[in-house]
Amino acid sequence: MISKTTLPLLGLPPTETSIIAWWQGQPISHEIFLAQVRQVATELPAHRYAFNLCEDRYLFMVAFAAILWREQTNLLPAYRLSSEIQKIAADYPDSYCLTDHPIIDLPLPQHLIAVSGTGTLDRTIPEIATAQTAVIVFTSGSTGRPCPHPKTWHSLVTGARLAQQRFQFPQPTSIVATVPPQHMYGLETSILLPLVMGLRIHNSRPFFPQDISQTLMAVPPPRLLITTPIHLKACVQSNLSWPALTMIISATAPLSRSLAAQAETVFAAPVWEIYGCTEAGSLASRHPLESDQWQLYDDFWLSQDETNGCYVHGDHLFESVPLQDVIAIDDDRHFRLLGRQHDLINIAGKRASLSDLNRQLNEIAGVADGIFIMPAEHEEQITRLIALVVAPTQDEATILAELAQRLDPTFLPRPLYKVSRLPRNETSKLPQQELIKLLKELATTK
Amino acid sequence: MPTSSPLELEVAQLIIDAVHLEDIKAEEIDPEAALFREGLRLDSIDALEIALAISRRYGFQLRADGKDNISIFASLRSLSQHIEKNRVK
Repeated sequence: MISKTTLPLLGLPPTETSIIAWWQGQPISHEIFLAQVRQVATELPAHRYAFNLCEDRYLFMVAFAAILWREQTNLLPAYRLSSEIQKIAADYPDSYCLTDHPIIDLPLPQHLIAVSGTGTLDRTIPEIATAQTAVIVFTSGSTGRPCPHPKTWHSLVTGARLAQQRFQFPQPTSIVATVPPQHMYGLETSILLPLVMGLRIHNSRPFFPQDISQTLMAVPPPRLLITTPIHLKACVQSNLSWPALTMIISATAPLSRSLAAQAETVFAAPVWEIYGCTEAGSLASRHPLESDQWQLYDDFWLSQDETNGCYVHGDHLFESVPLQDVIAIDDDRHFRLLGRQHDLINIAGKRASLSDLNRQLNEIAGVADGIFIMPAEHEEQITRLIALVVAPTQDEATILAELAQRLDPTFLPRPLYKVSRLPRNETSKLPQQELIKLLKELATTK
Repeated sequence: MPTSSPLELEVAQLIIDAVHLEDIKAEEIDPEAALFREGLRLDSIDALEIALAISRRYGFQLRADGKDNISIFASLRSLSQHIEKNRVK
Protein backbone atom coordinates (compact mmCIF):
# COMPACT_ATOMS: atom_id res chain seq x y z
CA MET A 1 0.00 0.00 0.00
CA ILE A 2 1.37 3.42 -0.91
CA SER A 3 0.84 5.81 1.95
CA LYS A 4 0.19 9.41 1.03
CA THR A 5 2.29 12.03 2.77
CA THR A 6 -0.54 14.54 2.97
CA LEU A 7 -4.30 14.32 3.45
CA PRO A 8 -6.70 17.18 2.71
CA LEU A 9 -8.26 19.25 5.50
CA LEU A 10 -11.70 18.49 4.04
CA GLY A 11 -12.38 14.90 3.02
CA LEU A 12 -15.01 15.77 0.41
CA PRO A 13 -14.65 18.44 -2.25
CA PRO A 14 -16.98 21.35 -1.38
CA THR A 15 -19.76 22.40 -3.70
CA GLU A 16 -21.43 25.78 -3.88
CA THR A 17 -24.22 24.59 -1.63
CA SER A 18 -22.44 22.24 0.77
CA ILE A 19 -22.64 23.22 4.42
CA ILE A 20 -20.29 22.37 7.27
CA ALA A 21 -21.96 24.06 10.23
CA TRP A 22 -24.79 26.05 11.73
CA TRP A 23 -23.32 29.02 13.51
CA GLN A 24 -25.35 31.79 15.15
CA GLY A 25 -28.42 30.39 13.44
CA GLN A 26 -26.91 30.60 9.95
CA PRO A 27 -25.65 27.83 7.67
CA ILE A 28 -21.90 28.10 7.00
CA SER A 29 -20.76 26.81 3.62
CA HIS A 30 -17.47 25.01 3.13
CA GLU A 31 -16.27 28.00 1.12
CA ILE A 32 -16.89 30.43 3.95
CA PHE A 33 -15.37 28.01 6.43
CA LEU A 34 -12.18 27.76 4.35
CA ALA A 35 -12.02 31.54 4.01
CA GLN A 36 -12.41 31.99 7.76
CA VAL A 37 -9.80 29.32 8.52
CA ARG A 38 -7.39 31.04 6.13
CA GLN A 39 -8.03 34.41 7.77
CA VAL A 40 -7.54 33.09 11.32
CA ALA A 41 -4.44 31.10 10.29
CA THR A 42 -2.67 34.19 8.94
CA GLU A 43 -3.25 36.02 12.23
CA LEU A 44 -1.97 33.29 14.56
CA PRO A 45 1.20 33.95 16.57
CA ALA A 46 4.24 31.98 15.42
CA HIS A 47 4.52 29.29 18.08
CA ARG A 48 4.62 25.51 17.94
CA TYR A 49 1.69 24.76 20.22
CA ALA A 50 -1.72 26.33 20.68
CA PHE A 51 -4.14 25.56 23.50
CA ASN A 52 -7.44 25.41 21.63
CA LEU A 53 -9.84 26.57 24.34
CA CYS A 54 -12.71 27.77 22.12
CA GLU A 55 -16.06 26.88 23.69
CA ASP A 56 -18.18 27.55 20.62
CA ARG A 57 -17.94 24.34 18.61
CA TYR A 58 -17.75 26.07 15.23
CA LEU A 59 -15.04 28.47 16.41
CA PHE A 60 -13.19 25.48 17.88
CA MET A 61 -13.29 23.84 14.44
CA VAL A 62 -12.05 26.99 12.71
CA ALA A 63 -9.27 27.30 15.31
CA PHE A 64 -8.42 23.59 15.01
CA ALA A 65 -8.09 23.84 11.23
CA ALA A 66 -6.17 27.13 11.32
CA ILE A 67 -3.68 25.67 13.80
CA LEU A 68 -3.16 22.65 11.48
CA TRP A 69 -2.77 24.90 8.48
CA ARG A 70 0.02 26.79 10.24
CA GLU A 71 1.70 23.45 11.03
CA GLN A 72 1.16 23.98 14.75
CA THR A 73 -0.29 21.49 17.25
CA ASN A 74 -3.60 21.79 19.11
CA LEU A 75 -3.19 21.24 22.86
CA LEU A 76 -6.41 20.01 24.48
CA PRO A 77 -6.33 20.04 28.30
CA ALA A 78 -8.70 17.75 30.21
CA TYR A 79 -10.08 20.69 32.20
CA ARG A 80 -10.53 24.33 31.30
CA LEU A 81 -8.75 25.39 34.47
CA SER A 82 -5.91 27.87 34.74
CA SER A 83 -3.97 25.51 37.03
CA GLU A 84 -4.33 22.62 34.57
CA ILE A 85 -3.23 24.74 31.58
CA GLN A 86 -0.24 26.10 33.48
CA LYS A 87 0.96 22.57 34.33
CA ILE A 88 0.88 21.66 30.63
CA ALA A 89 2.45 24.95 29.52
CA ALA A 90 5.43 24.19 31.76
CA ASP A 91 6.17 21.18 29.52
CA TYR A 92 5.32 23.03 26.26
CA PRO A 93 6.95 26.43 26.70
CA ASP A 94 6.51 27.46 23.04
CA SER A 95 2.73 27.72 23.41
CA TYR A 96 -0.12 30.24 23.48
CA CYS A 97 -3.90 30.08 23.98
CA LEU A 98 -6.44 30.48 21.20
CA THR A 99 -9.86 31.11 22.69
CA ASP A 100 -13.24 32.75 22.27
CA HIS A 101 -13.57 33.52 26.00
CA PRO A 102 -10.41 34.65 27.81
CA ILE A 103 -9.55 32.71 30.95
CA ILE A 104 -9.00 34.92 33.98
CA ASP A 105 -5.73 34.59 35.91
CA LEU A 106 -3.94 32.70 33.17
CA PRO A 107 -0.32 33.86 32.85
CA LEU A 108 -0.04 32.86 29.18
CA PRO A 109 -0.51 34.85 25.98
CA GLN A 110 -4.19 34.59 24.98
CA HIS A 111 -5.12 35.16 21.35
CA LEU A 112 -8.82 35.88 20.84
CA ILE A 113 -10.26 34.22 17.77
CA ALA A 114 -12.16 36.59 15.49
CA VAL A 115 -13.94 35.52 12.34
CA SER A 116 -15.36 38.33 10.29
CA GLY A 117 -17.07 38.70 6.95
CA THR A 118 -16.36 36.06 4.37
CA GLY A 119 -12.84 37.01 3.34
CA THR A 120 -11.74 35.80 -0.08
CA LEU A 121 -13.85 32.86 -1.16
CA ASP A 122 -11.58 30.05 -2.21
CA ARG A 123 -12.28 26.39 -2.79
CA THR A 124 -8.64 25.33 -2.53
CA ILE A 125 -8.42 22.75 0.22
CA PRO A 126 -5.22 22.83 2.25
CA GLU A 127 -3.22 19.61 2.42
CA ILE A 128 -1.99 18.59 5.88
CA ALA A 129 1.06 16.37 6.36
CA THR A 130 -0.11 12.94 7.53
CA ALA A 131 2.75 12.76 10.06
CA GLN A 132 1.98 16.15 11.57
CA THR A 133 1.01 15.97 15.25
CA ALA A 134 -2.41 17.55 14.88
CA VAL A 135 -3.42 17.40 18.53
CA ILE A 136 -2.14 16.41 21.92
CA VAL A 137 -5.06 15.37 24.13
CA PHE A 138 -4.36 15.40 27.86
CA THR A 139 -5.80 13.16 30.55
CA SER A 140 -5.16 13.28 34.28
CA GLY A 141 -2.34 10.86 34.94
CA SER A 142 -1.73 8.75 38.02
CA THR A 143 1.13 11.01 39.11
CA GLY A 144 -0.87 14.24 39.14
CA ARG A 145 0.78 15.54 35.97
CA PRO A 146 -1.41 15.77 32.86
CA CYS A 147 -0.60 12.85 30.59
CA PRO A 148 -0.11 13.70 26.87
CA HIS A 149 -1.65 11.64 24.05
CA PRO A 150 -0.36 12.88 20.67
CA LYS A 151 -2.39 12.20 17.51
CA THR A 152 -1.16 12.56 13.96
CA TRP A 153 -3.42 13.96 11.27
CA HIS A 154 -3.33 10.51 9.67
CA SER A 155 -4.63 8.77 12.80
CA LEU A 156 -7.47 11.30 13.21
CA VAL A 157 -8.55 10.96 9.56
CA THR A 158 -8.45 7.17 9.87
CA GLY A 159 -10.59 7.30 13.02
CA ALA A 160 -13.27 9.33 11.23
CA ARG A 161 -13.27 6.97 8.23
CA LEU A 162 -13.64 3.94 10.48
CA ALA A 163 -16.59 5.54 12.29
CA GLN A 164 -18.28 6.32 8.97
CA GLN A 165 -17.65 2.76 7.80
CA ARG A 166 -19.33 1.44 10.90
CA PHE A 167 -22.32 3.75 11.13
CA GLN A 168 -22.91 4.69 7.48
CA PHE A 169 -24.27 8.12 8.43
CA PRO A 170 -26.52 9.31 5.61
CA GLN A 171 -25.61 12.58 3.88
CA PRO A 172 -26.10 15.33 4.89
CA THR A 173 -26.40 14.34 8.57
CA SER A 174 -26.41 17.18 11.08
CA ILE A 175 -24.74 16.57 14.43
CA VAL A 176 -25.84 17.99 17.77
CA ALA A 177 -23.34 17.16 20.51
CA THR A 178 -23.57 17.61 24.28
CA VAL A 179 -19.91 16.78 24.82
CA PRO A 180 -17.01 19.24 24.55
CA PRO A 181 -14.76 19.15 21.46
CA GLN A 182 -11.67 19.23 23.70
CA HIS A 183 -12.13 15.59 24.73
CA MET A 184 -11.36 12.70 22.39
CA TYR A 185 -14.97 11.52 21.97
CA GLY A 186 -16.24 15.03 21.22
CA LEU A 187 -13.29 15.77 18.94
CA GLU A 188 -13.75 12.61 16.88
CA THR A 189 -17.50 12.89 16.52
CA SER A 190 -18.25 16.59 16.36
CA ILE A 191 -15.12 17.97 14.66
CA LEU A 192 -13.52 15.20 12.61
CA LEU A 193 -16.69 13.65 11.18
CA PRO A 194 -17.63 17.05 9.69
CA LEU A 195 -14.10 17.76 8.39
CA VAL A 196 -13.31 14.32 7.04
CA MET A 197 -16.70 12.79 6.20
CA GLY A 198 -18.76 15.85 5.25
CA LEU A 199 -21.23 15.83 8.16
CA ARG A 200 -22.54 19.10 9.60
CA ILE A 201 -22.37 20.41 13.15
CA HIS A 202 -24.38 22.80 15.25
CA ASN A 203 -22.04 25.21 17.03
CA SER A 204 -23.60 24.97 20.47
CA ARG A 205 -23.11 22.54 23.30
CA PRO A 206 -26.64 22.16 24.68
CA PHE A 207 -26.81 21.15 28.30
CA PHE A 208 -30.33 20.90 29.74
CA PRO A 209 -32.92 18.70 27.97
CA GLN A 210 -34.81 21.79 26.78
CA ASP A 211 -31.61 23.13 25.18
CA ILE A 212 -30.93 19.78 23.52
CA SER A 213 -34.45 19.61 22.13
CA GLN A 214 -34.34 23.16 20.73
CA THR A 215 -30.91 22.66 19.19
CA LEU A 216 -32.06 19.47 17.48
CA MET A 217 -35.05 21.34 16.10
CA ALA A 218 -32.74 24.07 14.79
CA VAL A 219 -31.12 21.67 12.30
CA PRO A 220 -32.84 19.77 9.47
CA PRO A 221 -33.00 15.95 9.36
CA PRO A 222 -31.18 13.58 9.20
CA ARG A 223 -30.14 14.36 12.78
CA LEU A 224 -27.53 12.62 14.93
CA LEU A 225 -27.31 13.22 18.68
CA ILE A 226 -23.88 12.67 20.25
CA THR A 227 -24.23 12.43 23.99
CA THR A 228 -23.61 10.62 27.28
CA PRO A 229 -25.72 8.40 29.57
CA ILE A 230 -26.15 11.34 31.95
CA HIS A 231 -27.69 13.64 29.35
CA LEU A 232 -29.69 10.77 27.91
CA LYS A 233 -31.19 10.02 31.31
CA ALA A 234 -32.10 13.67 31.85
CA CYS A 235 -33.74 13.80 28.40
CA VAL A 236 -35.70 10.60 28.94
CA GLN A 237 -37.09 11.89 32.24
CA SER A 238 -37.90 15.37 30.94
CA ASN A 239 -41.24 14.56 29.23
CA LEU A 240 -40.31 16.81 26.32
CA SER A 241 -41.18 16.09 22.72
CA TRP A 242 -38.36 15.40 20.32
CA PRO A 243 -37.85 15.91 16.59
CA ALA A 244 -37.13 12.87 14.41
CA LEU A 245 -33.62 11.52 14.91
CA THR A 246 -31.68 9.10 12.72
CA MET A 247 -29.50 7.86 15.53
CA ILE A 248 -28.23 8.56 19.03
CA ILE A 249 -24.68 7.73 20.06
CA SER A 250 -23.68 7.52 23.70
CA ALA A 251 -20.21 7.14 25.17
CA THR A 252 -17.96 8.02 28.13
CA ALA A 253 -19.71 5.66 30.58
CA PRO A 254 -21.62 2.40 30.31
CA LEU A 255 -25.23 2.80 29.23
CA SER A 256 -27.62 0.47 31.03
CA ARG A 257 -29.88 -1.68 28.91
CA SER A 258 -32.96 -0.23 30.58
CA LEU A 259 -31.93 3.38 29.87
CA ALA A 260 -31.11 2.44 26.26
CA ALA A 261 -34.58 0.90 25.91
CA GLN A 262 -36.32 3.93 27.41
CA ALA A 263 -34.31 6.27 25.17
CA GLU A 264 -35.24 4.29 22.04
CA THR A 265 -38.91 4.61 22.99
CA VAL A 266 -38.76 8.32 23.82
CA PHE A 267 -36.68 9.33 20.78
CA ALA A 268 -38.00 6.67 18.39
CA ALA A 269 -34.41 6.19 17.18
CA PRO A 270 -31.73 3.55 17.65
CA VAL A 271 -29.31 4.19 20.51
CA TRP A 272 -25.75 3.03 19.86
CA GLU A 273 -22.74 3.07 22.13
CA ILE A 274 -19.13 3.73 21.26
CA TYR A 275 -16.29 2.26 23.28
CA GLY A 276 -12.96 3.99 23.21
CA CYS A 277 -10.25 5.66 25.18
CA THR A 278 -8.20 8.80 24.79
CA GLU A 279 -5.13 6.77 23.83
CA ALA A 280 -6.72 4.88 20.92
CA GLY A 281 -9.86 6.88 20.16
CA SER A 282 -13.18 5.21 19.38
CA LEU A 283 -12.51 1.56 18.66
CA ALA A 284 -15.76 -0.41 18.94
CA SER A 285 -19.52 -0.04 18.92
CA ARG A 286 -22.60 -1.91 20.01
CA HIS A 287 -26.37 -1.62 19.87
CA PRO A 288 -27.14 -2.43 23.51
CA LEU A 289 -30.72 -3.57 22.86
CA GLU A 290 -29.40 -6.23 20.50
CA SER A 291 -26.24 -7.39 22.20
CA ASP A 292 -23.85 -6.76 25.06
CA GLN A 293 -21.01 -7.67 22.70
CA TRP A 294 -18.81 -4.92 21.33
CA GLN A 295 -17.78 -5.09 17.70
CA LEU A 296 -14.35 -3.68 16.90
CA TYR A 297 -14.07 -1.06 14.18
CA ASP A 298 -12.29 -2.38 11.08
CA ASP A 299 -8.48 -1.91 11.29
CA PHE A 300 -8.32 -2.55 15.05
CA TRP A 301 -7.39 -5.83 16.70
CA LEU A 302 -6.98 -6.98 20.30
CA SER A 303 -4.50 -9.12 22.14
CA GLN A 304 -4.27 -10.37 25.69
CA ASP A 305 -1.16 -11.05 27.76
CA GLU A 306 -0.66 -13.82 30.31
CA THR A 307 -2.03 -11.64 33.15
CA ASN A 308 -5.21 -11.03 31.13
CA GLY A 309 -4.21 -7.44 30.39
CA CYS A 310 -5.79 -6.43 27.09
CA TYR A 311 -4.16 -4.37 24.34
CA VAL A 312 -5.65 -2.74 21.28
CA HIS A 313 -3.62 -2.47 18.09
CA GLY A 314 -4.05 -0.54 14.87
CA ASP A 315 -1.69 0.45 12.07
CA HIS A 316 -2.70 4.10 12.54
CA LEU A 317 -1.86 4.14 16.26
CA PHE A 318 1.52 5.31 17.57
CA GLU A 319 1.77 2.14 19.63
CA SER A 320 -0.31 -0.64 21.14
CA VAL A 321 -2.62 0.68 23.82
CA PRO A 322 -3.33 -1.16 27.07
CA LEU A 323 -7.06 -1.00 27.83
CA GLN A 324 -8.16 0.14 31.29
CA ASP A 325 -11.00 -2.36 31.48
CA VAL A 326 -11.08 -6.06 32.15
CA ILE A 327 -12.12 -7.60 28.85
CA ALA A 328 -13.22 -11.01 27.56
CA ILE A 329 -12.24 -11.49 23.91
CA ASP A 330 -14.98 -13.55 22.23
CA ASP A 331 -13.48 -13.75 18.74
CA ASP A 332 -11.36 -11.70 16.31
CA ARG A 333 -13.89 -8.90 16.08
CA HIS A 334 -15.91 -9.08 19.31
CA PHE A 335 -15.38 -8.59 23.03
CA ARG A 336 -17.29 -7.96 26.23
CA LEU A 337 -16.48 -5.64 29.13
CA LEU A 338 -16.25 -7.44 32.44
CA GLY A 339 -15.31 -4.57 34.72
CA ARG A 340 -12.83 -1.91 35.54
CA GLN A 341 -9.31 -2.32 36.78
CA HIS A 342 -9.29 -1.61 40.47
CA ASP A 343 -7.32 1.62 40.59
CA LEU A 344 -9.21 3.41 37.85
CA ILE A 345 -12.53 4.97 38.53
CA ASN A 346 -14.94 6.61 36.15
CA ILE A 347 -17.54 9.05 37.40
CA ALA A 348 -19.82 10.50 34.76
CA GLY A 349 -17.22 9.77 32.11
CA LYS A 350 -14.38 11.46 33.98
CA ARG A 351 -11.50 9.20 34.76
CA ALA A 352 -9.21 9.27 37.76
CA SER A 353 -6.78 7.01 39.50
CA LEU A 354 -7.65 6.20 43.12
CA SER A 355 -3.98 6.11 44.05
CA ASP A 356 -3.54 9.62 42.63
CA LEU A 357 -6.59 10.90 44.53
CA ASN A 358 -5.25 9.30 47.72
CA ARG A 359 -1.87 10.89 47.14
CA GLN A 360 -3.45 14.33 46.78
CA LEU A 361 -5.53 13.82 49.93
CA ASN A 362 -2.52 12.80 51.96
CA GLU A 363 -0.52 15.82 50.78
CA ILE A 364 -2.89 18.19 52.57
CA ALA A 365 -1.34 19.75 55.67
CA GLY A 366 -2.84 18.20 58.80
CA VAL A 367 -3.99 14.99 57.09
CA ALA A 368 -2.26 12.12 58.86
CA ASP A 369 -3.91 9.38 56.86
CA GLY A 370 -6.72 9.24 54.35
CA ILE A 371 -8.34 7.17 51.66
CA PHE A 372 -10.92 7.55 48.91
CA ILE A 373 -13.47 4.77 48.50
CA MET A 374 -15.61 4.10 45.45
CA PRO A 375 -18.91 2.67 46.72
CA ALA A 376 -20.81 0.02 44.80
CA GLU A 377 -22.36 1.60 41.70
CA HIS A 378 -26.08 1.88 41.07
CA GLU A 379 -27.71 2.39 37.73
CA GLU A 380 -30.17 4.99 38.96
CA GLN A 381 -27.80 7.63 40.23
CA ILE A 382 -24.25 8.81 39.82
CA THR A 383 -21.98 7.22 42.37
CA ARG A 384 -19.82 9.62 44.35
CA LEU A 385 -16.61 8.94 46.21
CA ILE A 386 -16.41 8.69 49.98
CA ALA A 387 -13.31 9.82 51.86
CA LEU A 388 -12.12 8.65 55.28
CA VAL A 389 -9.62 11.02 56.83
CA VAL A 390 -7.51 11.01 59.97
CA ALA A 391 -6.78 14.66 60.75
CA PRO A 392 -6.88 15.54 64.46
CA THR A 393 -6.11 19.24 63.92
CA GLN A 394 -8.13 19.95 60.76
CA ASP A 395 -11.87 20.25 60.30
CA GLU A 396 -13.85 18.72 57.43
CA ALA A 397 -14.53 22.05 55.73
CA THR A 398 -10.83 22.94 55.54
CA ILE A 399 -9.91 19.56 54.10
CA LEU A 400 -12.72 19.83 51.55
CA ALA A 401 -11.61 23.34 50.58
CA GLU A 402 -8.06 22.05 50.07
CA LEU A 403 -9.32 19.15 47.96
CA ALA A 404 -11.50 21.49 45.91
CA GLN A 405 -8.37 23.38 44.85
CA ARG A 406 -6.71 20.20 43.64
CA LEU A 407 -9.48 18.06 42.15
CA ASP A 408 -12.21 18.34 39.58
CA PRO A 409 -15.50 18.77 41.50
CA THR A 410 -16.68 15.38 40.21
CA PHE A 411 -14.16 13.65 42.46
CA LEU A 412 -14.86 15.58 45.67
CA PRO A 413 -16.02 13.14 48.36
CA ARG A 414 -19.65 12.97 49.43
CA PRO A 415 -19.37 12.61 52.29
CA LEU A 416 -15.98 13.09 53.87
CA TYR A 417 -15.78 11.38 57.26
CA LYS A 418 -13.19 12.23 59.88
CA VAL A 419 -12.11 9.15 61.82
CA SER A 420 -9.61 8.56 64.62
CA ARG A 421 -7.76 5.89 62.67
CA LEU A 422 -8.08 3.81 59.51
CA PRO A 423 -8.42 0.05 59.99
CA ARG A 424 -4.98 -0.77 58.58
CA ASN A 425 -3.69 -4.28 59.13
CA GLU A 426 -0.15 -5.26 60.11
CA THR A 427 1.10 -4.77 56.54
CA SER A 428 -0.57 -1.34 56.60
CA LYS A 429 -3.07 -2.45 53.94
CA LEU A 430 -6.72 -1.60 54.31
CA PRO A 431 -8.79 -4.78 54.11
CA GLN A 432 -11.96 -4.21 52.10
CA GLN A 433 -14.08 -5.95 54.75
CA GLU A 434 -12.85 -3.64 57.51
CA LEU A 435 -13.53 -0.57 55.38
CA ILE A 436 -17.07 -1.71 54.59
CA LYS A 437 -17.70 -2.33 58.30
CA LEU A 438 -16.39 1.12 59.21
CA LEU A 439 -18.47 2.80 56.51
CA LYS A 440 -21.62 1.09 57.78
CA GLU A 441 -20.93 2.31 61.33
CA LEU A 442 -20.33 5.86 60.11
CA ALA A 443 -23.48 5.87 57.99
CA THR A 444 -25.64 4.82 60.94
CA THR A 445 -24.12 7.22 63.48
CA LYS A 446 -24.38 10.27 61.20
CA MET B 1 -25.55 34.10 57.52
CA PRO B 2 -28.55 35.79 55.85
CA THR B 3 -31.89 34.10 56.56
CA SER B 4 -33.65 32.13 53.87
CA SER B 5 -37.18 32.82 52.66
CA PRO B 6 -39.74 29.99 52.72
CA LEU B 7 -39.25 29.40 48.97
CA GLU B 8 -35.47 29.36 49.43
CA LEU B 9 -35.82 26.73 52.14
CA GLU B 10 -38.08 24.70 49.86
CA VAL B 11 -35.59 24.94 46.97
CA ALA B 12 -32.72 24.09 49.34
CA GLN B 13 -34.54 20.92 50.37
CA LEU B 14 -35.22 20.11 46.71
CA ILE B 15 -31.48 20.42 45.96
CA ILE B 16 -30.56 18.27 48.96
CA ASP B 17 -32.99 15.55 47.85
CA ALA B 18 -32.04 15.78 44.17
CA VAL B 19 -28.30 15.33 44.64
CA HIS B 20 -28.35 13.32 47.88
CA LEU B 21 -26.49 15.76 50.11
CA GLU B 22 -26.82 13.74 53.28
CA ASP B 23 -24.78 15.83 55.66
CA ILE B 24 -26.43 19.24 55.36
CA LYS B 25 -29.85 20.66 56.32
CA ALA B 26 -31.86 23.15 54.26
CA GLU B 27 -31.51 25.91 56.83
CA GLU B 28 -27.73 25.44 56.86
CA ILE B 29 -27.37 26.51 53.23
CA ASP B 30 -26.38 30.14 52.99
CA PRO B 31 -28.83 31.58 50.43
CA GLU B 32 -26.17 33.95 49.11
CA ALA B 33 -23.28 31.49 48.95
CA ALA B 34 -22.19 29.87 45.70
CA LEU B 35 -23.92 26.62 44.78
CA PHE B 36 -21.03 25.54 42.59
CA ARG B 37 -17.33 25.76 43.37
CA GLU B 38 -16.47 27.08 46.83
CA GLY B 39 -20.02 26.96 48.24
CA LEU B 40 -21.92 23.69 48.02
CA ARG B 41 -19.44 22.43 45.41
CA LEU B 42 -22.09 21.13 43.09
CA ASP B 43 -21.08 20.26 39.54
CA SER B 44 -22.73 19.99 36.15
CA ILE B 45 -24.11 16.50 36.85
CA ASP B 46 -25.92 17.95 39.85
CA ALA B 47 -27.22 20.78 37.68
CA LEU B 48 -29.00 18.23 35.46
CA GLU B 49 -30.54 16.49 38.48
CA ILE B 50 -31.64 19.80 39.99
CA ALA B 51 -33.10 20.93 36.65
CA LEU B 52 -35.15 17.75 36.47
CA ALA B 53 -36.42 18.20 40.04
CA ILE B 54 -37.32 21.82 39.27
CA SER B 55 -39.25 20.87 36.14
CA ARG B 56 -41.25 18.32 38.14
CA ARG B 57 -42.01 20.58 41.08
CA TYR B 58 -42.43 23.94 39.38
CA GLY B 59 -43.49 22.91 35.88
CA PHE B 60 -40.89 24.68 33.73
CA GLN B 61 -37.68 23.66 32.02
CA LEU B 62 -34.34 25.32 32.76
CA ARG B 63 -32.32 26.47 29.81
CA ALA B 64 -28.66 27.32 29.57
CA ASP B 65 -28.42 28.98 26.20
CA GLY B 66 -29.21 32.52 27.31
CA LYS B 67 -25.80 32.77 29.01
CA ASP B 68 -27.69 33.41 32.25
CA ASN B 69 -27.19 29.85 33.44
CA ILE B 70 -24.22 30.89 35.53
CA SER B 71 -26.16 33.72 37.15
CA ILE B 72 -29.24 31.51 37.73
CA PHE B 73 -27.13 28.92 39.52
CA ALA B 74 -24.96 31.52 41.27
CA SER B 75 -26.69 31.01 44.63
CA LEU B 76 -29.75 29.55 46.27
CA ARG B 77 -31.22 33.07 46.22
CA SER B 78 -30.70 33.62 42.48
CA LEU B 79 -32.04 30.16 41.65
CA SER B 80 -35.11 30.74 43.84
CA GLN B 81 -35.74 34.10 42.16
CA HIS B 82 -35.52 32.43 38.76
CA ILE B 83 -38.03 29.81 39.90
CA GLU B 84 -40.39 32.47 41.30
CA LYS B 85 -40.32 34.27 37.94
CA ASN B 86 -40.83 31.20 35.74
CA ARG B 87 -42.86 28.73 37.77
CA VAL B 88 -46.19 27.57 36.39
CA LYS B 89 -47.15 25.51 39.41
